[in-house]
Amino acid sequence: MYYRVFRDNVKICFPFLAFVKVTILGPGTVFIDKGCHAQKNVFRGLTIVTHSADSLVSIGAKSLLGGLTIRCHERIELGKKTMTAVSLLQDSLIYNADEVSSQVDTNIFLRPSPVILGANVWLGPDSIVLGGSKIGNDSVLAAGTWCFGNQIGDYCLVSGNPAKRPVPIDKLLKLKGLE
Amino acid sequence: MRDLLALFRGSAYIFWCRYFNRNVTIGSGLRIYKRLRVKARGKVIIGNNCIVDGIIGDNSHYVCIDSFDQSTIVNIGSNVRLFAARIGAKYQITIGDDVLIEESGIIDTDFHSINKGRGDPSDENREKCKVSIGNRVSIGARSIITKGVTIGDDAIISPGSVVTASVKPGSIVCGNPARPYHGTTP
Repeated sequence: MYYRVFRDNVKICFPFLAFVKVTILGPGTVFIDKGCHAQKNVFRGLTIVTHSADSLVSIGAKSLLGGLTIRCHERIELGKKTMTAVSLLQDSLIYNADEVSSQVDTNIFLRPSPVILGANVWLGPDSIVLGGSKIGNDSVLAAGTWCFGNQIGDYCLVSGNPAKRPVPIDKLLKLKGLE
Repeated sequence: MRDLLALFRGSAYIFWCRYFNRNVTIGSGLRIYKRLRVKARGKVIIGNNCIVDGIIGDNSHYVCIDSFDQSTIVNIGSNVRLFAARIGAKYQITIGDDVLIEESGIIDTDFHSINKGRGDPSDENREKCKVSIGNRVSIGARSIITKGVTIGDDAIISPGSVVTASVKPGSIVCGNPARPYHGTTP
């Protein structure tokens, strides 16, 4: 399958390979750089939902997106060569919470804040990345990781629900005697 | 237009329940945007002005309310917004007013015994296993609430958490098993 979505706010660069159903909804801007793959997964295809016209989703070049769900209020950026499994990227704690405006005004936790992923990040299956998370280049998120407002540096391994302190992969390799 | 259609679908469902499905009692102003499935052997009570919706961009998930026993009571308050929530009840589930539930499951039984025979669980009863959720609670996507849990008012259950113990009012919990969140704000 090899197709493009002809809409004003969505820009997908050539070549874009889709092996599954790709769903892009909402009025916000979506930009997918060239050479991305949407890989086949068991249950979910690639789903991108934007909430308002100001929201921006940008995916870097040569990413492998398998079963990823993105729900965006404000801004979500993925670097180039990102690899994802069935994971959830959401830039607020609860997506539909804006319907009760009073709840969002009083609670700081419900406000959306941007999610920024560096280049060459690997997201494991069932990982959840929520608002305010910043992940550096070459980092790895293990399966089932839950991130909310975590600042993760370059080349680190993160795991756990909720996420534990990130471990530099250089250190791990030294411990194992691989380096 | 979409709201009108949902309101019409909801009122048709209320009419159908009044004459053919006597177990289900629904207040006025129900709005059904996507599919709603109620398999009720026990009693299901839904309050006024509820919204039944699915997850945007995902048609495979919809709201399910299942009750597996004749003595089951599922009591949902008014102004509740259900986004692809799955409720499975054997004893009693109570949900308060102004609650928001996203794509998550609420179950009040284990369905099977821990014995090697795997029969019906013997150590469960209504007092021990009932789930009650307070007012103005929001529950995030892909989380599970297990049996015997009481959630206080104004609490927030973050996405992807597994709630196994009771939650205090006004707190934010996360993780597996769910604990209070002490981190910084984003």
